[in-house]
Amino acid sequence: MTQQRNVIGRAAGYLFHYRWQAVLPYIFLLIATLSQLAVPRLVRSIIDAVTKGVIATTVLDALNKIPAAFMSVALPKILTFLNYPATMTSDQLVAQLNADKVSAPDDLVRAGLFIVGFAALRGLFAFLQAFWAEKNSQSVAYDLRNDLYAKIQRLSFSYHDQNQTGQLMIRATDDVEKVRLFLGQGLLQLIGALVLLTATLIILFTTNAQLALATIWIIPVALILFMLFGTISQPLFNRVQQRLSALNTILQENLAGIKVVKAFTREKSEEVKFNVAADNLMDQQIVIARLFTFLMPLVFLIANLGQATTLYVGGKEIILGTLTLGEWQEFSMYLIFIFFPVAQLGFIITQFGQAAASATRIFEILDAKSDVTDKAGAIELPQVEGNINFEDVSFRYVGGGAPVLDKVSFEAKPGQTIALLGATGSGKTSIINLLPRFYDPTDGRITIDGHDLRDVKLESLRAQIGIVLQETTLFSGSIRDNIAFGKPEATDDEIFAAAKAAAAHDFITSFPEGYETPVGERGTTLSGGQKQRVAIARALLLNPRILILDDSTSSVDLGTEAVIQSALDKLMKGRTSFVIAQRISTVMNADQIIVLDKGKVAAIGKHAELLEENEIYAEIYSSQLLDDKQHA
Amino acid sequence: MMGGPGRHSGFLNQETSKPQSTSETLGRLAKHFGPFWPALLAAVVFVVISTWAQVTNPELTGELVDCYLSPAVAASGFNLPGASSAASQSASSSNCWLAADKQPTGITQTIIKNVFALGSLAAPKTDGTITTDERTAGLVRMILLIIALYVMGAILMGATFFSMTWAGQHVLRDLRTEVFEHLHRLPIGYYAEHEAGDLMSRITNDTETINQAISFALVNVASGSLLLVWIAYNMLTQNLPFALLSMAVTPIMIIVTLYFSDQARKAFRKTRTEMGSVNASLQESISAVREAQAFNRAEENIDQFNITNAANRDANVNAVVFTSALSPALEALGYVALAIVVGAGGLALLNGANLFGTAVSLGLIITFLAYVQRFNQPIQQISVLWGNIQSAIAGAERIFGILDEKPAIVDDPNAKEMTAINGKVEFKNVTAEYKEGEPVLKGVNFTAQPGQTIALVGPTGAGKTTIINLIPRFYDVTAGSILIDGTDVRDVTAESLRKQIGVVLQDTFLFSATVMENIRFGQPGASDEEVIAAAQLAHADTFIERLPEKYQTVLGERGSGLSQGQRQLLSIARAALADPRILILDEATSSVDTRTERLIQKALEKLLKGRTSFVVAHRLSTIRNADMILVINDGEIIERGRHNELLEEKGFYYNLYMSQFKKQEEIEAIIAM
Repeated sequence: MTQQRNVIGRAAGYLFHYRWQAVLPYIFLLIATLSQLAVPRLVRSIIDAVTKGVIATTVLDALNKIPAAFMSVALPKILTFLNYPATMTSDQLVAQLNADKVSAPDDLVRAGLFIVGFAALRGLFAFLQAFWAEKNSQSVAYDLRNDLYAKIQRLSFSYHDQNQTGQLMIRATDDVEKVRLFLGQGLLQLIGALVLLTATLIILFTTNAQLALATIWIIPVALILFMLFGTISQPLFNRVQQRLSALNTILQENLAGIKVVKAFTREKSEEVKFNVAADNLMDQQIVIARLFTFLMPLVFLIANLGQATTLYVGGKEIILGTLTLGEWQEFSMYLIFIFFPVAQLGFIITQFGQAAASATRIFEILDAKSDVTDKAGAIELPQVEGNINFEDVSFRYVGGGAPVLDKVSFEAKPGQTIALLGATGSGKTSIINLLPRFYDPTDGRITIDGHDLRDVKLESLRAQIGIVLQETTLFSGSIRDNIAFGKPEATDDEIFAAAKAAAAHDFITSFPEGYETPVGERGTTLSGGQKQRVAIARALLLNPRILILDDSTSSVDLGTEAVIQSALDKLMKGRTSFVIAQRISTVMNADQIIVLDKGKVAAIGKHAELLEENEIYAEIYSSQLLDDKQHA
Repeated sequence: MMGGPGRHSGFLNQETSKPQSTSETLGRLAKHFGPFWPALLAAVVFVVISTWAQVTNPELTGELVDCYLSPAVAASGFNLPGASSAASQSASSSNCWLAADKQPTGITQTIIKNVFALGSLAAPKTDGTITTDERTAGLVRMILLIIALYVMGAILMGATFFSMTWAGQHVLRDLRTEVFEHLHRLPIGYYAEHEAGDLMSRITNDTETINQAISFALVNVASGSLLLVWIAYNMLTQNLPFALLSMAVTPIMIIVTLYFSDQARKAFRKTRTEMGSVNASLQESISAVREAQAFNRAEENIDQFNITNAANRDANVNAVVFTSALSPALEALGYVALAIVVGAGGLALLNGANLFGTAVSLGLIITFLAYVQRFNQPIQQISVLWGNIQSAIAGAERIFGILDEKPAIVDDPNAKEMTAINGKVEFKNVTAEYKEGEPVLKGVNFTAQPGQTIALVGPTGAGKTTIINLIPRFYDVTAGSILIDGTDVRDVTAESLRKQIGVVLQDTFLFSATVMENIRFGQPGASDEEVIAAAQLAHADTFIERLPEKYQTVLGERGSGLSQGQRQLLSIARAALADPRILILDEATSSVDTRTERLIQKALEKLLKGRTSFVVAHRLSTIRNADMILVINDGEIIERGRHNELLEEKGFYYNLYMSQFKKQEEIEAIIAM
């Protein structure tokens, strides 16, 4: 429970971003509650007025029939019954009774009008309260989502390697919604219920302490029960969210990989997988439903038993004449204001359990330590020359066995082209990933112009590195937006120039909407070669000092490949470039070739040197590159 | 995805998003409840009985007052000589129908009077001679009866809740799986037009609104409505004019509710759409978070998300204006009704207990007060939950919106299973278009003999991808036909057709599952040995053996943690395991480093042997070895033949070849030096 309170408290802290706005609903709630509390008192005064009037009529009738001789005997009895002073004469009594009879309708009408007045007040403030509560909670949800989004954007690659998109999405949507529901309705209801409860208890104890004592036993009993249920239900709710996340992950993968699913006619088995996840989710929901099948009726039963107790104690007092019917009616109306909040607390406990489970999941992300962050005192990386040094760099993925890089050392001079060569899985991609600090080395260090990468600000580092990877992801938006991806403020001229250099300008302008053609998820699907050229333009626009690229020209036809390759050559000129080399020309022109073998540097040098000195390179050359050449 | 500027979805369908009527949506939702009618029936029975218990209680409270507590009864407690007649007249004119000399009206009163008579319980006396002890005993009996009803009501309430939630959760599961299955049948083009995140939002968030409505709102609205009818009936039968007065505000309540819910539903539609956008934005940016970091785009993305997110917040705040106004309005009207009851009743009582010619007692007023309070309670409850229901309707509209999308490829009712094939593929005058009037293929004709390798060559957007998409029927032709072993692909079931075809796509999609499961993707029945054999064929086993858990290593989403080449190898192993007669390679060999590629080419040679293969090629080796090269330009086959024949023609292919390999020839010259 304490941990639950902590996360909820932290979530509630978001409310105070809105300062006075956050307090508004509570003020309105107070006014609305007080107006509500006035109504039973008014009803009582009406009933008392009526009772008085009726009794006055009845007694007046009776008085007329009592023979004058018996009057002296009857009068004290009547006065006692009516609670009038014993000193009253019969004439005074008659006068008083007549006055009661006459004033009753006026009292009644006045009280009736007051009820209508308070009803209007109650309605107005209840609306204001509900509106502001909801508005505030939506604002909190907005903030939570923004925080989550920003955090997710900044979490390092290794975090994303381990967390699926579908699962993160549920936290940013459904979990936030659950927390919002509690902060918007639950918390307010909780405070409202407590205010109503306290105020009603005060009223009850001041009007009739004995009757009040007979009733309040239900409060501790109910609270203990709720606490119990709250503690039991939280882990159950947590499991619901987990299972919802699992479901969403399957969904997300199926949508992203729909073509593969269709191509392999895996629909049926994917459907089975989804059905299992949907069943699991349903089963867990039903487990919770079972719990609340007990809780809900119990809450009402307890409340109703409280009412029955009052009925008994109050009824007895009426019979003994120590309580008027009006007082009793007022009391039992106030009772509703005891039982209603108590029952409400029962539901708030549900929301609380749910919200606590969800808040925990949200803060798990917000508290996740990105293993790649700016360290305290990190400096802006100044405009670099492009001298890059790997010093005994080792690296292994989180949770992934053997090191993928093992004591890799080399130096790239400004403007050099470094070709990375090696078998699949030899560590080429890892070297590329370490340069922009997508990951940090497990051991050793990397420097740019003498600055350790970990001593400079991430943003200033990445701003100087251009990346063209083979897998090109474009985003929803226009082609222009996609080229300007890394430099949103770029002018049209800059963008056109970049597109021309990347040989993309012609095909872009062939579209009816030109640079404004929507692409990405919602728009036109570009072919692989077109995507790649947009990606090259994207990197060119940044005009980076350091370039990382994969020189393979995938998914293009023969003609396009030639165009792209000349664009790539242009791109590399004058920049320190790291190239995952697939082409003979790249390897031959490279200033340094780094031959990687199982995470180790097998050889470094120029083509001619390596060919003579290094066996592995000679082998790779003769078996792969030469082979390629012969084909050509 | 589709090559070329195909910016529209499938051939057959255009998106139909007609606004649905609320009653239609509710009707469809109700239909999903059909299979669970026993649970619903049980819930209805429970609700009826527990509602009866709920309404009976105020009646019993009123009776308690009239028989034992009212001032008239109390007045009979003091025996005034000669006043007894007045007192007794007062008591018997009350509504104490439990009294021996009174007839109960209605079923409820009859039942209770009979229960009360059980165990030799004395009926209350109304002749003015009731003693204090008798009154106390009566009080206790009545309260026990009330408690018994409470207990019964509580048990039934729990039972109702459970059966509704049970049915609701089942409906929810069915809806989710139905939408999921439907998503699989939609044309590939549908996904180019709709954001994955928005579709996801429909299955998770929108169904969640239905969940909210089902698990709480539906039961409460059902029992609330029943309660309303019941109370109204009770009030009307007990005292017609008084009842009509008490319910005078009800028409206003109905009008207010209808107005607000209409507004709320419109506002909720907007909120569901905005939530879809938020989800879409999340989906896109989370799955591409690596690019965002590489390009320092975090800040810009965050700013953009804030806008989408703010739109969602504003839409919700907008909707809340209506939902939060409804309940207080109704509550205020409820208090007005209360004022009318005590006011009118009290005045009538003071004027000789006569209201338009009907008798009014204090007990009746108290009963009616309880009625009106209980009358207002469900109205308020319904109004609060009404919000949930409106939101659920808006959510259901979006769910049915997907279900109403026509599946791209519908098996012909007479479609047969495609049996084992030889692999002869014929394109007869095939025309295909994504958008009406903009054909991507124009009258394409060719025949691939069993076992032949067909290389597709041509500029980007020429129609190569379209050709390979048509063979497994990802799309259907607009005109002409595609025959496999002489059978039109539209005459067999899509599933049996695709089982014969292996596909290696440009982007290798891996699932977050083990390596073993990823290879087994197309052949769930394959044994471990078969999987390993396929991996060996694709030369993937070497790197798999180096993974921490070997074949049991769980891959990250989309195979993160593996290099491009490794992913490609797995994709090839996957196709090898499926052992298809027809193979489609979409430039699959391109993203593997040269050494691996060479191995793959050897593997592919093995794989291609004896299978009819279509390769969207850019590697010379593949093209050279092809039995037939189809040169495609602008949706038409402009040249066809073997490599050497085409070179001799000195046409389009020759130019393509020269422009591409001139550079490589130069390098060859350098090496030769």
